[in-house]
Amino acid sequence: MQDHFNEEIESLKTSLIKMATLVDEQVERVFTALETGDIQLCKGIKAKDREIDIYDNLIQTQCENILALFQPVAIDLRFVLSALMTNNQLERCGDIAVNIAQRVKKTSDTQSLIKESQILDMGQQAKEMLKNAIDALILNDLEIAQKVLESDEIVDNFNKQIFLFLVEKMKTDNALIEPCSHLIVLIRNIERLADHATNIAENLVFYLEAKIIKHQIKLNPPIE
Amino acid sequence: MTQEKNIKIDTRHLNLYFHEEKILKDINLEITSNQILGIIGPAGSGKTTFLRSLNRMNELEPGWRVEGQILLDEIDIYNSELDVISLRKRVGIVFALPVALPMSIYENVVYGVRLSGIKDKARLDEIVEKSLSAAFLWDEVKDRLNLSGLRLSGGQQQRLCLARVLAMEPDVILLDEPCSGLDPISTTWIEDALTELKKNYTIILVTNNTMQAARVADKTAFFLMGELVEVGLTRQIFTTPVKKETNDYITGRFG
Repeated sequence: MQDHFNEEIESLKTSLIKMATLVDEQVERVFTALETGDIQLCKGIKAKDREIDIYDNLIQTQCENILALFQPVAIDLRFVLSALMTNNQLERCGDIAVNIAQRVKKTSDTQSLIKESQILDMGQQAKEMLKNAIDALILNDLEIAQKVLESDEIVDNFNKQIFLFLVEKMKTDNALIEPCSHLIVLIRNIERLADHATNIAENLVFYLEAKIIKHQIKLNPPIE
Repeated sequence: MTQEKNIKIDTRHLNLYFHEEKILKDINLEITSNQILGIIGPAGSGKTTFLRSLNRMNELEPGWRVEGQILLDEIDIYNSELDVISLRKRVGIVFALPVALPMSIYENVVYGVRLSGIKDKARLDEIVEKSLSAAFLWDEVKDRLNLSGLRLSGGQQQRLCLARVLAMEPDVILLDEPCSGLDPISTTWIEDALTELKKNYTIILVTNNTMQAARVADKTAFFLMGELVEVGLTRQIFTTPVKKETNDYITGRFG
């Protein structure tokens, strides 16, 4: 029974790692496209996202099976719950990569604006956060997870600054309204990507330390 | 009862020996009134011995020796002046296998009550209805109370045994693996009954089915090799156990 359970848990871990690797590749690719303006790199992003969606369904089914057949408790239960949540975050990251690819296509002729606006720095930071979140997930490393949690504010600040920068640009030149609008959507996507990376790190803390730290709310201990 | 903490049973430095062998080792456990305490642990951990020590059932076999105290409402039950028969009325026990007596359902319920001297038919009728209702069995048997208890299903027989214990109006109910031979539906009946009964009784449930403790117990105690490893709120034991041994046992990694 225990062997069977361990096999199911290992199989779930493997699926999560494979999905996370695919997401990482997608994100890496769209940010390279954003940086270089090479829209050729965006081709195939949508098709690849289909593979991520397949993992999404697979992982959900694996979790359902483990819960139904083994009724795990304590750390095992937290692993399955965190896998379900992380699966959801990874799937959303995959969708965001598709969205970013679409914006890259629409903003490829505004490279100077992209460079001037710090969007690449923001993207670099968000990409790094996701990479770290995935590394933390694979290695069960709370130190790396902590790094991710601490970085979220940096991306949020980039978001605010770049938004104001783009609004100012739009005010000065009507011709910039359309490209800046695309870029505002783009930074919104990058900011969401960082949020999902943060959530993945929070899920790891929940799994390994039995602490719910999201929303910065501390639950009171259970009342007897 | 210790008022401040609502403690019904309090074991203090309880050691139990069978001949020279120490079966229970320094058990300190407070059992709260009107709660269900689940006791879990592998075979040979001492959980049944502990349960049977709470109404001095172990003494039915020679060779047992007790050190320390078991206080029931602050009175030491191993005090030499205490009447063991009245103790066992106050602390009833239901065993793993239902022991329906070869007599009618009605007589099964009133068996102990009659022995204690109650003969009045109206009083006995009242006790039968009340006890069978509390054991979630009344509706199924009220029209056939003269049927032999042995004709009931395993699940019904177990609830009949529970009704027999309830008829004695105990304070505490001990259950030793009460659902081990029952199907899931009968198990649900017993668990529902326990959840209702705790409003009026203190219940101690030994179970090998850890998930049963998770479902019904307010607190859970984990025993291992005669020691109490950990006791806590059930939701804490099954989510964030403090001791590694508890974690290994409930997650099936033990051994």
